[in-house]
Amino acid sequence: MNMPHPPIIETKDLTIRFGGHLAVDHVSLQIPPFTFKSIIGPNGAGKTTFFNMISGQYRPTEGKVFLKGKDVTSLSPAIRTQLGIGRSFQLTNVFLSLTVLENVRLAIQSQKDIGFNFWKNYLSFSELENQAYEILKMVLLDTKWNVPASGLTHGEQRKLEIAILLALETEVLLLDEPTAGMALEEVPSILELLKQIKNRRDKTILLVEHKMDVLMALSDSIAVLHEGRLIADDTPEAVSKNREVQEAYFGGGRARG
Amino acid sequence: MNPVQQFRLEEKGVRFRNPYFFLRILLLAFFVFTPFMFRSFEVLDVVLKIIIFSALVASYDVILGYTGIVSLGHVLYFGIGCYSVGIFMGNLGWISYGHLALAFLIAIAVSGILSVLIGLFSLRIRAIFFAMVTLAFMEFAFILSSQLRSITGGDDGISFKLPGILAVDYSIGHFLGIELTGRILSYFLILLICMILFLFMLRFVHSPVGRVLQSIRDNEPRSIALGYRTYLFQVIASSFASCVAAVAGACFAIWVRYVSPDSSLSVSIMLDVLLMVIVGGMGTLYGGIFGAAFLMVTRAFLPKLQVLVGSILPGVPMAARLSERWLFYFGLLFIIIVYFFPKGIVGTVQEFFSKRRTS
Repeated sequence: MNMPHPPIIETKDLTIRFGGHLAVDHVSLQIPPFTFKSIIGPNGAGKTTFFNMISGQYRPTEGKVFLKGKDVTSLSPAIRTQLGIGRSFQLTNVFLSLTVLENVRLAIQSQKDIGFNFWKNYLSFSELENQAYEILKMVLLDTKWNVPASGLTHGEQRKLEIAILLALETEVLLLDEPTAGMALEEVPSILELLKQIKNRRDKTILLVEHKMDVLMALSDSIAVLHEGRLIADDTPEAVSKNREVQEAYFGGGRARG
Repeated sequence: MNPVQQFRLEEKGVRFRNPYFFLRILLLAFFVFTPFMFRSFEVLDVVLKIIIFSALVASYDVILGYTGIVSLGHVLYFGIGCYSVGIFMGNLGWISYGHLALAFLIAIAVSGILSVLIGLFSLRIRAIFFAMVTLAFMEFAFILSSQLRSITGGDDGISFKLPGILAVDYSIGHFLGIELTGRILSYFLILLICMILFLFMLRFVHSPVGRVLQSIRDNEPRSIALGYRTYLFQVIASSFASCVAAVAGACFAIWVRYVSPDSSLSVSIMLDVLLMVIVGGMGTLYGGIFGAAFLMVTRAFLPKLQVLVGSILPGVPMAARLSERWLFYFGLLFIIIVYFFPKGIVGTVQEFFSKRRTS
């Protein structure tokens, strides 16, 4: 693949060991800006662990993570979010007792310079609520803005998660299995949403998934992890024809392991 | 205009017409008129302690109910406030308004600095560690206050006089049928200070910082992933609450004109504060008032049950013996409240009404 821009995210020999277990093994990956890249692999391939090292929840045993050429390996997750890496989580991870609008508003607030203001009412920053409402419209949750997040269905909570991620306005979006645990009829609306975000071409999207069919149409490129190692990184067509991937992904893995 | 803006506008429109607003006015009116309604000092004493403990419990609620941090040493700052006034007025004998104000400022400064240091040092690590460290600091202060006899008066504590209009023997004459003594004026001064503290706390929890605190309570890792350095926010919350507790402590000293380790720094006060927060409702602020009222009123009047029963049923030994066990009834009441109001009095009532409104 030709790369007109330098990569926005780059990992070099990223490795993490849990005790004796090598969860991610020297993965070097380059993600060009404004592209949609998926990371796939069977369960336990190290996808989420790899994600956690990019967003900062885990520190790698070895190797480095670069954001726009800057080494961010030793920075905390909060700082990385401020620098432009936002992420959603595989297990739904929203503020359950707060309203849907407040969940999104808090994400917007973190991007503004009012974080440490403790003398004004938060409602006096009304533009934050208006922005949050606009984002809720995008994910079709606007009618539920005043409901506590605990009152949403699982699928709606996943949408809220994406809304929070969009509200962070980070250049990079890390989506960890956005359709996980969702009812089948809810999946298309999430895919439609992802397509819309992709078509605007102002974000770099990195997505972890283990349902391959979800990604074929959306992804610009697909990286395949297997037992912690990167075994392919190519266009969707090429990856689906890759023999090693087929073996690893469609049952060959057990015979090898 | 989008539905959110419309909703906020409507909310603003009924700001002075909703039942909560009237309840607040009623509550304030009750506190203001208490000295005129009840002549007995005993009642006044109980009501004033309710006021002070409301502020103290609400400040604890900022940490526990709004931020989700467990501190077991919050009363330490209350004690700092008490001793600051006690040492200035009693030990040093600098009885003037200026020095009283200085004592307040020093209490706030010492509490603020100490809580920031404790927070920086122990909030980084797991929550249980913070609870243990704060408890240890409070115990340490308790021992210090009972050992440093030359400064704190040891276990005997310090009795002191207050300047000018706050002095016991001061009187400016009669008003609405009661004599406005130094006591009554102290009552109103403390009511005013505690009201200001309450307004400060309400503003604090409804500020951008306050909202972040609630997100930390709900889900700290998520809050971090939004880009908030949650640790700094926790330090801010704990030091803000500590300063409020210090002022409440200074007010307490003004009222009782006496400080001792047992009355201002002991673990049993901490337990009272915990009980009050649980009874009143965590994460509500106003719960503090009801929690404090429940505990103070039952504490003050349950022991009198014996006298009451004795006068109604004279010569029934069984009744007399049953009425002696007031602590038992207190425990029973506490269990009933926790059972029927799982989110505390205010929390459960709020939930009930918000459910009714949406359904």
